[in-house]
Amino acid sequence: MTARDLIPIAVLAVLAALLPLVVTSSPVMNFLVFTLIVALGAQGWNILGGFGGQFSFGHAAFFGTGAYVTAILQLRYGVNAWAGLLLAMAAGAAVAWTIGFLSFRSGLRGSYFALVTLAFAEVFRILANATAFTGGAAGLLIKLDVHPANLQFADRAVFYWLVLAFVTGVLLLTRWIQRSRFGAQLVAVRENEDAAKALGVDSLKVKLRAIALSGAVTALSGCLYAQYFLYIDAHIAYGSWISVELLLAPIIGGVGTVFGPVVGALTLHGLGELAKQFAGRIPGIDLIVFGGVLVLAVAFARGGILGLLERLRDRGRGMMTRGAKEVSHAGR
Amino acid sequence: MGRSVQDSALSGVSRRTVLKAGAAAAAFATVGAPSILRAQTPAVKIGILQPVTGALAHDGDLGRLGAEMAINEINAAGGLKALGGAKIEMVFGDARSTPEAGTQEVERMQAEGVCAIVGGFASPICLAASQAAARYDLPYLVDVGVSDQIMARGLTNTFRFSPGFGKVTQVALDNLTKINELAGKPAKTVVLVHEDGLFGSGLAKLLQAELPKRGFEILETIAHPTPARDMSNVALRIRSLNPDLVIPSNYYGEFVLLARTMQQQRIKPKGVYAVLGGAASNGRFVKEFPQAAQNVIDCNHWHDPKNPQAQALRKAVEAQGKSFAYNVPLNYSNVLLLADAIERAGSADRKKIIEALNGSTFEGHIMPYGPTKFVNGQNEGATPINTQIQGEDIKVIFPEYFAEAKANFPAT
Repeated sequence: MTARDLIPIAVLAVLAALLPLVVTSSPVMNFLVFTLIVALGAQGWNILGGFGGQFSFGHAAFFGTGAYVTAILQLRYGVNAWAGLLLAMAAGAAVAWTIGFLSFRSGLRGSYFALVTLAFAEVFRILANATAFTGGAAGLLIKLDVHPANLQFADRAVFYWLVLAFVTGVLLLTRWIQRSRFGAQLVAVRENEDAAKALGVDSLKVKLRAIALSGAVTALSGCLYAQYFLYIDAHIAYGSWISVELLLAPIIGGVGTVFGPVVGALTLHGLGELAKQFAGRIPGIDLIVFGGVLVLAVAFARGGILGLLERLRDRGRGMMTRGAKEVSHAGR
Repeated sequence: MGRSVQDSALSGVSRRTVLKAGAAAAAFATVGAPSILRAQTPAVKIGILQPVTGALAHDGDLGRLGAEMAINEINAAGGLKALGGAKIEMVFGDARSTPEAGTQEVERMQAEGVCAIVGGFASPICLAASQAAARYDLPYLVDVGVSDQIMARGLTNTFRFSPGFGKVTQVALDNLTKINELAGKPAKTVVLVHEDGLFGSGLAKLLQAELPKRGFEILETIAHPTPARDMSNVALRIRSLNPDLVIPSNYYGEFVLLARTMQQQRIKPKGVYAVLGGAASNGRFVKEFPQAAQNVIDCNHWHDPKNPQAQALRKAVEAQGKSFAYNVPLNYSNVLLLADAIERAGSADRKKIIEALNGSTFEGHIMPYGPTKFVNGQNEGATPINTQIQGEDIKVIFPEYFAEAKANFPAT
């Protein structure tokens, strides 16, 4: 990785970190925390779906595992919340690796893989809903005990910085993937798995590494969700809503790009929130905006918002070079 | 997202908005105008949190209506007297049927300077929203949320005027036993049909433990998911088991579906006894499917039928063309209770309101609870009562003190 790779991430992180010093409104902070948690999970999805081309419809399985593991460890075994966070990530990676091993080994690709992940997430949801260990349908309530050791902070800004730090960390991770040998192999598998195999890429191993990483990152976002809202049930943790959120953000922002998931999550939720501010009297207006943005993105911005910006920039450059040529012609 | 975009009733929006605008205009004409002439006292803002989009939109809409009617009434009667006739201003928040959205709305209400929040409806929303309010010592009145967890957290800002799950099931079982005894014990066998979420499974588990102790035999317990699109198999199973009593615990859509399927297949047990039934005490169900709804008994939140204020409220709601359900009187009463606390606190200061709620002995509500008495935030006198759908009406049948009609049990 070169300095040019890191500068945009650093600039974005610093600007975002300065935000709480300017914005003191708690609705805005609360909105940003939730959006960043979604963005983090979406970054996880993007590692597997964006770079690896394996579209999962069931990332709720990893999100929920992260949320449940951290909640259960704290409630039933008195484990420290920070340690719980690390264990939740490990559990997310383990669950992801297992699902990956079972489905990739059987050669499942494309829509078949998507359906299998969806099925796994649903099975987890029903199990979590039915067993007493996970609190059954009543869900789990993490005790409100504001203390940094419990990963609960009196000031929302601290939680915001924490989530932002994780998002930045995953931005760096994705940049590293993009530049590394592993990333190149992953993209090769996405573009043409048979060709990649022919070139000596161990596609199963590459995909398993990607899904484990993806699962760990998404589990981290689930863990932060549980830690922030302090209540989870099977529907929240393993519900299909989160699977959809996590795949929409990268699709809107730009699949397989470093910033795509973050841009997508901020755009979707930001527009929704703005719509609510201006037309709050109409219930559900933000959901209409949500749908509208998705339709526009799919119809006109195939590479997501980042793809669109890049095309506009290229077009702008093209016009500039053409303009420059014309000027030089005129000069002659 | 998938859980909140179900039935946002888009067609209803414009009509509802128009109605609301009309009501607001009327309220302004009758109430707002004179107050301008008087010395201006700043309005007291209270937050009303209800899920008016998503799966719970129907309930949220009714809850908002109840709160709105109470606010309009208080303002029409001269506002909050202890605060120099200050008007109550409603800050409405749409919880969109999800806990995150509920939390976000609490943050917004806090920023807008509300002095208390009423509502939430579903237990997960109440859990998250009251916790968010607790950060600011903002009084939170749970309107419906029955989960016992809500009151078990020791949050000093959270109050529940209505009964919790433990209380409701206890009363439901006691009343069932008594109704059965009064009728000469016709019911001996039971089939439980429940949804597999928080409320249905919890209830089924409790009933499985308690019913045999009271001399009932449980033939089978049938679980189904929410939403469920077909109840034929459940109905067929009930038919082959032929129980005396069917006890369903599910939400509106599934309850209606089950009742209709049972009607189509001519399954007529001696009684259908719902506990916190999704539709069993909902005017819409009676209006839309009167035959399927006949004789269904429910043990649920319900207003005191003998209270003239409650009767007037019900008439006013029905005059608006809306169906009446418990959400309306509960939210109406909660707003009155809060207004009483503000009056006694003599200010909109949060700590003083919490103090006033803790010492509250409010009788001006329309529920069959008696004067309020809060112990650790829970109103001790709160209790559900039994209703039965008879003809085109929902009538209270038990306890006898409140009864408007005799129980039709076993159903004829």
